Amino acid sequence: MTAPWRFPHPGRALAMIALALAFAACGNDPNQAPLRQTREDGTPWTVRYAGTTEDPRSLDPQFMYDQISRRVLEPIYDTLLEYHPMKLDPFEVVPCMLETMPQKEVSAEGGITYLCKLKPGILFHDDICFPGGKGREVVAADVEFAWKRLCDPKVESPFHSNLAEYLAGFNEARGTAEKAGTFDYAKPLPAIDVLDRFSFRIHLTKPFPQIIYWLALHCTTPVAREAVEYYDGKVHDGKVRGDFHKFQTVGHGPYRLRDYVPRQMVRLERVPGYQTTVFPSDGFPPEKAEWLKTLAGKPLPFIDEVQMRILRENIPIFVLTRQGYLDGMGVNKDAFNAILNVNKELAPKYRERGMFLDKDVDVSTFWLSFNLDDPVIGKNKKLRQALSCAYDNATYSEIFFSSVAPVAEQFIPPGIFGHQKDWQNPYGFNPAKAHQLLAEAGYPGGRDAKTGRQLEITIEAAASGSEDRQRAEFEQHAFETLGIKVKISENSFARLLEREDQGAFQMASGTGWGADYPDPENFFFLYYSKNVPPQGKNISRYNNPEFDRLYEQMATMENTPERLEIVKRMNAIISEDVPAILNFHKAFYTVVQPWARRTQGNPMLEGGIKYGLVDAPLREQKRREWNRRPVWPLFVLIALVAGGAYYALRWNRRQNA
Amino acid sequence: MLHLVESWWAQNALVIGGFTLVFLLLRAGARNERWQRAWDRLKVDRAGLIALGVVCLYLFIGALEALQLPSSSGASRSVLDLFVGHIPVEKTYSAPLAKTLLSESKPDPLRGTHLLGTDALGKDVFVQTLKACRTALVIGGLTSAIYIPLGAVLGILAGYFRRRTDDLTTYVYSTLASIPEILLLAAIITTSPWGKGLGTMSFALGITGWVGLCRLIRGETMRQAERPYIAAARAIGQSHARIVTRHLLPNVMHLVLINFVLGFSGVVLAEAILSYLGVGSPVGTPSWGVMIDSGRSELSRDPLVWWNLTSATAALFGLVLSLNLLGDSLRRAFDPRRG
Amino acid sequence: MLSYIVRRCIYAIPVLLGVMLITFLLFNVLQKPETAAAINLGPKATKIAREQWVKARGLDQPLTVQFGRHLKKLATLQFEPSWRTGRDIRETFLQGAGPSLLITVPGFFCGLIASIGLALYQVFVRNSLMDRSITLLSVALMSVPAMVFIIFGQAVIALSLNYFPAFGYDWRGWETAKFLVLPVMIMVVTNLGYDTRLYRAIFLEEINQDYVRTALAKGVSSARMLSVHVFKNGLIALITLTVSRLPALIMGSLLIENFFGIPGLGNVLFMAIQTSDQPVVLASVYLGSLLYVASLILTDIAYALADPRIRLS
Repeated sequence: MTAPWRFPHPGRALAMIALALAFAACGNDPNQAPLRQTREDGTPWTVRYAGTTEDPRSLDPQFMYDQISRRVLEPIYDTLLEYHPMKLDPFEVVPCMLETMPQKEVSAEGGITYLCKLKPGILFHDDICFPGGKGREVVAADVEFAWKRLCDPKVESPFHSNLAEYLAGFNEARGTAEKAGTFDYAKPLPAIDVLDRFSFRIHLTKPFPQIIYWLALHCTTPVAREAVEYYDGKVHDGKVRGDFHKFQTVGHGPYRLRDYVPRQMVRLERVPGYQTTVFPSDGFPPEKAEWLKTLAGKPLPFIDEVQMRILRENIPIFVLTRQGYLDGMGVNKDAFNAILNVNKELAPKYRERGMFLDKDVDVSTFWLSFNLDDPVIGKNKKLRQALSCAYDNATYSEIFFSSVAPVAEQFIPPGIFGHQKDWQNPYGFNPAKAHQLLAEAGYPGGRDAKTGRQLEITIEAAASGSEDRQRAEFEQHAFETLGIKVKISENSFARLLEREDQGAFQMASGTGWGADYPDPENFFFLYYSKNVPPQGKNISRYNNPEFDRLYEQMATMENTPERLEIVKRMNAIISEDVPAILNFHKAFYTVVQPWARRTQGNPMLEGGIKYGLVDAPLREQKRREWNRRPVWPLFVLIALVAGGAYYALRWNRRQNA
Repeated sequence: MLHLVESWWAQNALVIGGFTLVFLLLRAGARNERWQRAWDRLKVDRAGLIALGVVCLYLFIGALEALQLPSSSGASRSVLDLFVGHIPVEKTYSAPLAKTLLSESKPDPLRGTHLLGTDALGKDVFVQTLKACRTALVIGGLTSAIYIPLGAVLGILAGYFRRRTDDLTTYVYSTLASIPEILLLAAIITTSPWGKGLGTMSFALGITGWVGLCRLIRGETMRQAERPYIAAARAIGQSHARIVTRHLLPNVMHLVLINFVLGFSGVVLAEAILSYLGVGSPVGTPSWGVMIDSGRSELSRDPLVWWNLTSATAALFGLVLSLNLLGDSLRRAFDPRRG
Repeated sequence: MLSYIVRRCIYAIPVLLGVMLITFLLFNVLQKPETAAAINLGPKATKIAREQWVKARGLDQPLTVQFGRHLKKLATLQFEPSWRTGRDIRETFLQGAGPSLLITVPGFFCGLIASIGLALYQVFVRNSLMDRSITLLSVALMSVPAMVFIIFGQAVIALSLNYFPAFGYDWRGWETAKFLVLPVMIMVVTNLGYDTRLYRAIFLEEINQDYVRTALAKGVSSARMLSVHVFKNGLIALITLTVSRLPALIMGSLLIENFFGIPGLGNVLFMAIQTSDQPVVLASVYLGSLLYVASLILTDIAYALADPRIRLS
């Protein structure tokens, strides 16, 4: 009986393996080769190697809403206005695609409009959807088209409901389209009036100074009708065309999307001839002013190619950065401790390497929500205050963020109008006060004064990964010091959302909000009573008529001293009512390689890639230094194999003796 | 009702009851001649005895942790806490045998000495490792309690009655085995009405794990059923039930035992994967799988936090290695031809 | 033989039906479509947006209608586009199969060579101290969770040796190998313990057969004995095991692919579960069970071919 297959000739097999290994030993650089070596004018082609933790979900400007997608989208599409990259406190919005800031006009009847004019000469990227394949000029009609898309039910834009409150005709347009089944793009939209090739007028239904910020968001940026119609995701001539709603882009920014390999990487390529914006000439922070002045007014972008790898795990991020194959940690996850674990300074190991430490303060706040409809917690203000006093957020920040993330004393994060630098949370960490308040709440020592039973509360927490577990454990422990029994209910992200929507929770941990734009209205709206789910995000079901009144008053005010007073009063009300236990403002350290020193770190931008700069020769040198290859493992391997063979021969001889 | 189960005397009763059950089962097995011969062989197998001893050590530690002491404050205290409860909890990470916290800027002095350092929330790693014994044993025990009766019974029935019963059983386990395990596990655990807990995990692992045993028992039963003594029994007129329980069952039990020992180690290893998938032990329950999973982010810290991962791996390794060696020894004891 | 194969294929159909039914129920009954919408649209989407998303995908229809629709599509190997990426699932699978196979197949063969080699070596020096040590080592390797191998492999070995990329994947012809070395090595080590013991047991059983003793008595050298006769006859069991591993080979390893950034099939299913991407889950499970059932049939056939004593009834 013969074997059904023959074992490959050992010699040949070994040769193949050896060959493969030889190729493999060409080094440990995981990055792709750059697209080119030099630019058209002969200067070197520079590449930046960045990372991100997940795949983008969509690159449709009117649809995408998550940070990861925005990171890829931002270099591809410019916006009408943009945030000045260096001015952080306060944030400042400056013109980008518009020539100047929009001019506000109030008509005789009280109608509010903003007059806007696009810069001439901004071109869409070259693409086959245009006749001749050449990108044409961006005109006001493109802005109109984009805004109509916001109202198109098929686009499923998450921004529509927010804007519909202030932009004329948004609701009606959507309603009509839903009834008709399709959106009629021929019909004019009241919110935007195209006056001539580059000018247009925005019509509001009520005062809304924050419209400026919305013009800095990608949802309002112009898109080409040709692109949307061409890239419909359907089959043409036997091949599936890209889908504009998903990952097909035709932008007008400094970069175009060259490659997107799902679960692997995104590659951006500089668009030659980009001239919409240049490097700013003012607003430099003093510690970098000398250096930045040399770049003032220079054309953007500096970097020719960006390779963004998709890294889902912490350890590879850490390893690649140590080896010098990532230019910096542009990864916006709590996994900042992947590289750094020190508060104020770099560890000596990294300082020696010349790495930079940048601190990014996100414009966000995180807290634990109470459900004010809950019978136990909802009606008992003193209980909530007691729980708030029992929560040691400084230690939380120390453990999970190495104290980088500042403790949140108030709801409004730093950098936003209304943030008071010297405000202290009246119910911040204070164990003595916590015990006292608990007794006053009717639960001395954690037991119900009337029945003697131990108070039990349930905290809903997210359940993905060891960090979430540790956080949940921390919270459990914090409240158990009061003598209360705490149950942690772990939920998948979806379940958590469900519970919050339905109000099926007592306390929810990990709730937070990152500013869409730097205005207190974008935070306080979370506690406006009309925003209770399912319409809005007031998951605490906070309902305070005084707060509501003040909110309506200040929501559309300009940043005046009167507004400040109102905001301060609202802050005082919330601090007293404690609908949530404040935790921290998100901030994290980013380690930047010595050759990729950042020119800016504005949290309202998602990376600001067009302002980036790399010193390629320095990078080459450091990589060689950091990736030495020891030879001793080979010797050990050979020794093991030789030893084993020798033993076998000796044993065999002994057996046959 | 849950309150009842969680009260200390109910928990202790469960533990003692569990051990008593095992003891009775072993005693029943001792009456079997085949088992007696196996035991004789096992007694001279030094490696096997050591492995058995180690497993018993883990059982002992786990039992210490499972037995609860009555406490007034509501926080549960186990018998193990009597020995290690005095070790204080720090604020956060600290290295083994260190004097201060693992922080370059705020190296606060520690309140006590920690043999294997402390984890993210300041708990002593050595104590957590010991306590996690109970978790591992509970998961292994409960899972076995689910999949062994399921697999063995179905296996015997399929192997003995054949035809339609066999077809049905084969259909059921083919279908179940075709569904990717990850999906089943994740689905069962995340959507279980009892919530995430050791019970749910064991249930999920049990439901996905009975197939192997079933196939094994089915094969062995088919072989045994061909033997003349079975035909003879039927000729006498013994009922099917009697044949199965009196003749077949005792003759496949050794396979069940070996599979139990080896399967136990598989379940304990699976816990680490479950933690990675996010459907592991609930918050607050010490577990090796969770400690290993936290290594993913801990090993990328600077300075490196290696003691959590290493301690859990070592403990896990010890138990699984011993179980595997014990399984081997049992196999040799029951069938000395297979070396 | 042919009638046997046909019969087994027909038998596979109710299994596939059962699998799809269970998966469909698991996915739908236990998670409301609204929740799937919330996950797919992001946390900032409003309720209205979610309702429209549900309607657009026909998720508000009764379950029986939905299941029927799925079955019809699956039977013709047509898959709905993924909710998450909007791409054709077939494209995703074809793209992902390559990298997965590039790791699992070399991993499998290298593992085979390594464990068979080690097992043969053990049989050669059987009953020696070396033999027992290797057994102990095998059992020890089996007792460490795969995740620990991966974590250590990446954090420690990749970082200190710098021979191969610690992460990533890029198709560059022959040079692709450098991305595969570490994952393949880890895959081999993970399975080495179990496989070595297995093959050792098989080969030892062959060694103890009468024909071996006869051949040795006739003067055949032990080396030749081992490499030719014992090996060939142990092949039967080997084939059975190999074929039964096929589905896992194609589906890839979730852990390795996540940690090493290999865009394979391994984490397609898992990510789909996490992001509630129902079309991808259903398609993956369908393909997975097809492969599994196919491998069952192949196993039986291979077994029958290898050993004519076995009758296929």
